[in-house]
Amino acid sequence: MSSAPGAQDVAATETDRTDDVRQGTSFWRYAGRKAGGALVSLAMVVVLGFFAFRILPGDPVLTLTRGKRVDAEQVAALRREFGLDESLWNQFLIYLRNLSHGDLGDSYTFRRPVADLIYDHLGPTLLLTGVSAVLAIALGLWVGQKAAWRRESFFDRASTGTALVLWSVPTFWLGLLLLLIFGGTLQILPTAGMVTTGLDATGIDYVVDVARHLVLPVITMVAVTYAQYVLVMRASLIEEMTSDYLVTARAKGLREDLVRRRHAIPNALLPTVTLVFMHIGGLISGAVTVETVFSWPGLGYLTFQALTGPDLPLLQGTFVVFSFIVIVMNFIADLLYRVLDPRVRAA
Amino acid sequence: MTTQRTEAPGSPAPGSPRSAAKPPHSARSVANARRRQRLVEVWTEFRKSPSGLFGLIFLIIVILLAILAPVIADRSLLDVTQIDNAANEPPSMQNPLGTDPSGRSVLVMLLWGSRVSLMVGVAATAMSMVIGTVVGMAAGHFGGLGGALLMRVVDFFLVLPSLVLAIVLSSVLQRGVWTIVIAIGITSWAGTARVVRSQTLTIESRSYIERSLALGAGHRHIIGRHVLPAVMPLVMANTTLTVGAAIIAESTLSFLGLGDTTQTSWGSMLKLSMDSGAATGGYWWFVLPPGLAIVVVVLAFTLVGRAFESVINPTLRGR
Amino acid sequence: MAFTPPTAGGRLLSRPLALLASLAIAGGICFAPMSPASATPEASDTSKVIKVATNATIDTFNPFISIYATPTGINRMVYENLVQYSAEDSSDTEGLAEKWETSSDGKTWTFHLRPGMKWSDGEPITAKDPKWTYEQMMNNEVMGSANGSLVSNFDTVETPDDTTLVITMKEPQASNPGVEIPVVPEHVWSKLDDPGKHENNKDVVGSGPYTLKSYKPSQSVELTANPNFWRGAPKVDGIQYIYYKNTDAQVQALRAGEVDIVSKLTPAQFKALEGQDGITTNSGKGRRFTGLGLNSGAESKDGKPMGDGHPVLKDVAVRTAIRQAIDTETMMAKVLDGHGTLATSFIPAVFPKWHLDDTSVLKGYDPEAANKMLDEAGYKRGDDGIRLDKQGKPIKLRLLGTSDEPDEQQMADFIGPWLKEVGIDTAVEMTDGDTVSVDSTMGNYDMYFTAWGVGADPDFQLGINTCDSRPDEKGEGATSMDNWCDPEFDKLYNQQHAELDPEKRSQLVKEAQKVHYAATPSIDFWYKDSLEAYRSDRFTNLTKQPIEGGVITEQSGYWSFYGATPVDETKTAADADSGMSVGLWIGVGIAVAAGIVGAVIFARSRKTADERE
Repeated sequence: MSSAPGAQDVAATETDRTDDVRQGTSFWRYAGRKAGGALVSLAMVVVLGFFAFRILPGDPVLTLTRGKRVDAEQVAALRREFGLDESLWNQFLIYLRNLSHGDLGDSYTFRRPVADLIYDHLGPTLLLTGVSAVLAIALGLWVGQKAAWRRESFFDRASTGTALVLWSVPTFWLGLLLLLIFGGTLQILPTAGMVTTGLDATGIDYVVDVARHLVLPVITMVAVTYAQYVLVMRASLIEEMTSDYLVTARAKGLREDLVRRRHAIPNALLPTVTLVFMHIGGLISGAVTVETVFSWPGLGYLTFQALTGPDLPLLQGTFVVFSFIVIVMNFIADLLYRVLDPRVRAA
Repeated sequence: MTTQRTEAPGSPAPGSPRSAAKPPHSARSVANARRRQRLVEVWTEFRKSPSGLFGLIFLIIVILLAILAPVIADRSLLDVTQIDNAANEPPSMQNPLGTDPSGRSVLVMLLWGSRVSLMVGVAATAMSMVIGTVVGMAAGHFGGLGGALLMRVVDFFLVLPSLVLAIVLSSVLQRGVWTIVIAIGITSWAGTARVVRSQTLTIESRSYIERSLALGAGHRHIIGRHVLPAVMPLVMANTTLTVGAAIIAESTLSFLGLGDTTQTSWGSMLKLSMDSGAATGGYWWFVLPPGLAIVVVVLAFTLVGRAFESVINPTLRGR
Repeated sequence: MAFTPPTAGGRLLSRPLALLASLAIAGGICFAPMSPASATPEASDTSKVIKVATNATIDTFNPFISIYATPTGINRMVYENLVQYSAEDSSDTEGLAEKWETSSDGKTWTFHLRPGMKWSDGEPITAKDPKWTYEQMMNNEVMGSANGSLVSNFDTVETPDDTTLVITMKEPQASNPGVEIPVVPEHVWSKLDDPGKHENNKDVVGSGPYTLKSYKPSQSVELTANPNFWRGAPKVDGIQYIYYKNTDAQVQALRAGEVDIVSKLTPAQFKALEGQDGITTNSGKGRRFTGLGLNSGAESKDGKPMGDGHPVLKDVAVRTAIRQAIDTETMMAKVLDGHGTLATSFIPAVFPKWHLDDTSVLKGYDPEAANKMLDEAGYKRGDDGIRLDKQGKPIKLRLLGTSDEPDEQQMADFIGPWLKEVGIDTAVEMTDGDTVSVDSTMGNYDMYFTAWGVGADPDFQLGINTCDSRPDEKGEGATSMDNWCDPEFDKLYNQQHAELDPEKRSQLVKEAQKVHYAATPSIDFWYKDSLEAYRSDRFTNLTKQPIEGGVITEQSGYWSFYGATPVDETKTAADADSGMSVGLWIGVGIAVAAGIVGAVIFARSRKTADERE
């Protein structure tokens, strides 16, 4: 549900951030205001995370025991164990108290602390989204600047067209097709998981094993996300190239490649950098479907499992953690923007 | 172009204030004339983008097919008790795209599915557009604490992982197509709100607004007569792009088991094809068409949106 | 717009970025050629380990707590029960106990353990182990959370000597109390501070054919052979359960030799694997029934009405008419592709001792009879053909299903039109399993899809149809199968519960099912086959349960994995047929072509735009 790749996004973001940048004079005041905003968002996530899931109809204990040989005492014991015999308000207070020391409650299905489960699954997700993000950004920026530089060339049209077509593909469907072709028919890549079970490889073998498992999920994620970087980079570079100072630079007799490398690209990167961080949320959403298709043992997969339970504390926990990551990333983006903005740097 | 069909007069060019003193009748006809002229301008510009034009024609055809679905293929063709095709039949003269695991014609399902998928896309977008425009204009128009608070809410929705939030919403609300519409609508308006806010700020800083204010115009007048008409084209372009995202979102939620399986949509078709193992069974006619339908329709909306965007915002042209 | 075309110099500039991006692409591609040489599963020679694809939820391996099917199944292989279910017909057979006797009043059960058995760590297995296990479950609420109901009739457990265990019952009991309960080693568990919290997922000490070696959440479970197993060590070195969330991926993995066994196949996948080299498919008779629950007037335990069921369903004529309006045979052919057995009542045909086999009482598909019955019962058709209830309102029944179960949507697609034929309108609601389970417990339904996996002893399944099994007004307390109550059924249930003569008990169980059938508080459609496939070029002798036409996975026992024998290793695994049919390839080709054409159209159209400008 990342919004469509439109240059408007950048324009709006830029105006907005520029306002901010101009208003605050001191960096620390600016950072403080942004941190305050992030904290408010976090608080909203915490509250939403609790109450949204409590409106869920249904009784987790009945679901868990459906079709099982349980009697009344067993049901009551489970209910007590999950703290479901408390009032909603008390449950909320307990939730807040636990959260303050990093306790996200116990999962209904796995009978383990949610925090432990998330910790177990966090690494694989960071690996997958991290590698995908780096590759998507590298590919997107490279194609974007090239397309802008050779505007209206065949390369420009073909690359923009390809990016838009790939952007229009449902992630899970693309993943499934890739899985069938490379994992099924050609049998050159594994179809699921992060490591080969029972291989117990170490060192370089382990890295190679994980890398092979990474290929398909990463290709899927990169394919559907890199378009936005292409379009943004292309748009902002085109704008930079028409600006007065570049004309001056050229007039000074600077070589074309120097103009591009020294002036156009760094300035065009500015809005792109912020966009990169803003789209982390989209990447994480992508992780839910990609991890499910490729059985990648990460947070997205965990969310999907929590969803089929449904396992309220686990869903709540993954929601809070996902949102936390995204909010922090945005905060970093805000700071970076301020640091990178030439208008501020020059001052 | 049908997208300009709003009650508000055409967007006023900067520096051409509408005098409130003029008799209403003549003001209206002037406005009408200007609106017609603006429409023609937009259309002339839009026509210059063949990819946009191609997308538009394609969309018109798809929408016509969706509307005419009951005429083209009777609903009873989807009633599993009244058809006697074998399950997972390969394409034939009778069923050009083969049949699904219940023996229904995939082509007929695709046709009927387009109604639900397009409806979800458009309705979710309309919802996102209304929320985004209202919040964005309010945040831009009313500064101060209220505006700041609104922007905080916008930022909150902007950064939340929207799929995760949509998952939460669609598991909380009762199943059904409207739940999906609401889940997508609620999670996708923040971008629009941001764009609208900056546009509102830009418009309101112009001198003719100050003049209006000096002449005693109220909030309602300023927003209704000046800001809304000016942001509307931008919103339209922005939300055309959202339709595509909403159609993909519908299929993703279906894939995650949060869709409405009682309705045939492209998303629920893909879900059924996956649940029934059509891909490993080699029944490509039930795996590829729904996915391709999503790809081309989303692409068409994107092309139209981009073309339209560059028309109404000339500085973006060529981007 | 001022714009300079790229120069040779310009090309140079983009090099760092270009390098990065091409690395990205190359990175993706170059892993591929590496694969045959490096770490494929075959290359690492683990062929004596059976690899099982799974997507099941694992709550915990603590046998006192675990209630999910897969960990319970794994624990069946880790912990031998006192009494095991046989592979032949799931009847009671020796486990830790080699023989047992029952007192004539059915209150005292005496078990004789086989002397000389050892745990996997070499410690002796004695009668103290089951005693400790049972007493934990009887006395500790948490420890009884999974199987507490199985010991609720236990009064005392005594061990006169190391090989004898005497269980005294509160009430007479015909079903063997030694089944189903995993017996844990006292010398390990009694040392734990809080055995109820023990995760039990690493280097487990067990008594069954395999012990649990390691567990990686969402990735894998590894079991290793137990050389001390009393029947003798298994012939394979171990079992690995590997996670595949996507069933298509499971099938591809089987073809590629990444896994050896897949289960829960769809009919389409089953068909695709049939007849492939090196792969054997198995359509095993399952012990699960699928049916339609009807709200015959849900009441709480103390007789207060519950829920919002449609009043017409209180009329047995309407319920019977619904049964006769549904063409179960056609539906099974379409939904399951015929992979099932048509049901009579709720005890599956794999338990011939208990299964209702008297066909004279059965009423088949007959919409005319259904219409006639409804006409006679006074439900007249309205103008639109929909019948009116006694208040003159058109009858519209809700049908509740789970959206995770694709079969249920498919069944609903059939049932709606069929019921309309007899003048009953339906509204299908597909929701999550949680909502369905709560609504069905609280009586907030008209019709819903129901399914139970039935145990080898019918006592439990019959027991949840008694009046006492109904919940209280809050939906708490006992579990009721259909929110139904009939004193005649209760009488038969109580008789069979204490009947020690197997023949007589069998008759009583069948009689009880006839009462349920006639009352129609639910309609049983079929017992679904388990569709499985395995690499027969790598393993043979996977014993089915029942041996004739039974299942390999999800047994109530360890027979298939215990029997598994590796095929001669010198014979390399035959290359499986390429995964996709020609058709799918053509389709993918079309898709790729369409993408390219789309891109080119886009590119070209932009070009024409320039020309016009």
